[in-house]
Amino acid sequence: MTPIEWAAWSFVVLLALIFIRLPIWLSMALCGLFGAWMVYGQPAPVLNQLKHVTYGTFSNYNLSVIPLFLLMGQFAALGGLSQALFKAAEVWVGHRKGGVAMAAVAACAGFGSICGSSLATAATMGQVALPELRRAGYAGGLSTACLAAGGTLGILIPPSVVLVIYAILTEQNIAKLFLAAFVPGILAAIGYAIVIAVVARVEPGSAGTMAPVPMAQRWAATLKVWPVVVIFLAVVGGIYGGIFTPTEGAAVGAFGTGVAAWAAGGLTLKTLRGAFLGTAVATGMIFMIVLGAGMFNSFLALSQLPQTMAQWVGEQGLSPWVVLTVVLLVYLLLGCVMDSLSMILLTIPIFFPMIMALDFGLTPEETAIWFGILVLIVVEVGLITPPVGMNLFVINNMARDVPIAHTYRAILPFVASDLIRTAILAAFPVITLFVLRL
Amino acid sequence: MVVWIFRLTRWSAMLGGLVLVALMLMVVASVSGRALVGLGLGLGPVPGDFELVEVGTAVAVFLFLPWCYLRGGHAAVDLFYERFPSGLRWLVTTLADLIMLALWLVLTERLVEGMLEKREYMETTFILLMPMWWGYALCLVGGVIGCLAYLTKVLIQFKLAAWPAGWTTDPAGGH
Repeated sequence: MTPIEWAAWSFVVLLALIFIRLPIWLSMALCGLFGAWMVYGQPAPVLNQLKHVTYGTFSNYNLSVIPLFLLMGQFAALGGLSQALFKAAEVWVGHRKGGVAMAAVAACAGFGSICGSSLATAATMGQVALPELRRAGYAGGLSTACLAAGGTLGILIPPSVVLVIYAILTEQNIAKLFLAAFVPGILAAIGYAIVIAVVARVEPGSAGTMAPVPMAQRWAATLKVWPVVVIFLAVVGGIYGGIFTPTEGAAVGAFGTGVAAWAAGGLTLKTLRGAFLGTAVATGMIFMIVLGAGMFNSFLALSQLPQTMAQWVGEQGLSPWVVLTVVLLVYLLLGCVMDSLSMILLTIPIFFPMIMALDFGLTPEETAIWFGILVLIVVEVGLITPPVGMNLFVINNMARDVPIAHTYRAILPFVASDLIRTAILAAFPVITLFVLRL
Repeated sequence: MVVWIFRLTRWSAMLGGLVLVALMLMVVASVSGRALVGLGLGLGPVPGDFELVEVGTAVAVFLFLPWCYLRGGHAAVDLFYERFPSGLRWLVTTLADLIMLALWLVLTERLVEGMLEKREYMETTFILLMPMWWGYALCLVGGVIGCLAYLTKVLIQFKLAAWPAGWTTDPAGGH
């Protein structure tokens, strides 16, 4: 077989292994190592690479931002910051129709600005907001769905682990990606709030209201979120302003969040242990996927499949917009069964050169950033699409009395809002890119 | 014995967390020092901070991995697995555990080879002139604990060992 044929077959085997539930990283590593062995015709070059690939991958300076952001998210979950964010939003909108649910989404957005992970955001805000929503008389399905959807803001709003990986894979500037993600992230929060407002009016029984809160109390509650604002501005502002590298920003952010958690009494020896163990699981998972994908992608590069495919697609004379639509649809479909990082690491080496070879009327850097934001959004939709949207499970596990079917049904309008937003951002790149052109 | 291996993975993950916190503090000190360099108090960035971050991250990740695996932390696709009969589930899980153990044994052996190679060529980092093989050696600690942990998981699959009381695994695949 030619190298390209090996690469094409390796995809079939890879998907089969993944679907019988071999860990995704292991499936990628196996296919990558075996494929490279076949292309070289002997195992020696592969064994030689293995001497340094593990240490080399784990000691990559760019990746060191990830465990630090994860630690920051763990600290943020301890600090009472989530409670403060939710209260600050609730006092302003809690008395409106669907207001408590909107407050939960707004608090998720705020929490997302200091946490780079969707699951952590959903889990943290779920603990804070779910009891309040039920107390205010919200239907089970709407309560779980708005938090599951709100959780995706953890990754849509920078800092974001997925964007870090995309930036490393495509050699783009992390700071610019973070900045570009900001407006689409806010649009996502607004979209979810609109969904809640509509649902609260169409099904009046599903949403309750709270008594209005006096102005003085509103401002008092709002002022309590200052640590979040300071940390966000220091981290994202510092990275974008070139004051420090993303890793340094994450270290400063983790430090600030840790201090805030300690000051609020949330950081004890016991919770610190929990934070370490949580960081260990998330870090281990991400680094192994990066390692496995590295092995698989170096085999793909060896086989020249990505370049050949990009060239072939370019020669078909298809409209760039058709190609983009197909690519985004593939992500939506894959997202129903696979986690976002695995998807990105698996597909970006194929899709990125393909998209970059097409002409969208943008500079190459703008195309790369805009495509990155679109991919970020569509892979995150996978977190809330049935049957295996992780955020749905995380939240539903906290609300044992809500049948998963109710959550599945209530999440659909939120998914619809995601799809509409994706279409708008795809049709008008300027919405994502204008911040960078300022 | 098995209980001790599970405890070892827990300590290993804790130690990884401490390494990470140490890195965080070092970077914060370095950034502060850089910001205050103009005061003329002899403050400045920590020399070789990038190199320390690189080595430290690798060491921490190696220490995290055994715990991550025993907690079922690695991402996987559950779609069909949930509909498999229990015999097939056992087969797939055992296969995954065996491949994991085999691959990790190879990777650990290769890590040793890589370490010896770096030592032989006396490669060092640019600024601190730290021998490169030190980083490999430190990572070997987590690597060997990993071998023990993955072996234990295989033994548990074959009912030659039992899970410690109260052990839970997380649903796979998220971040």
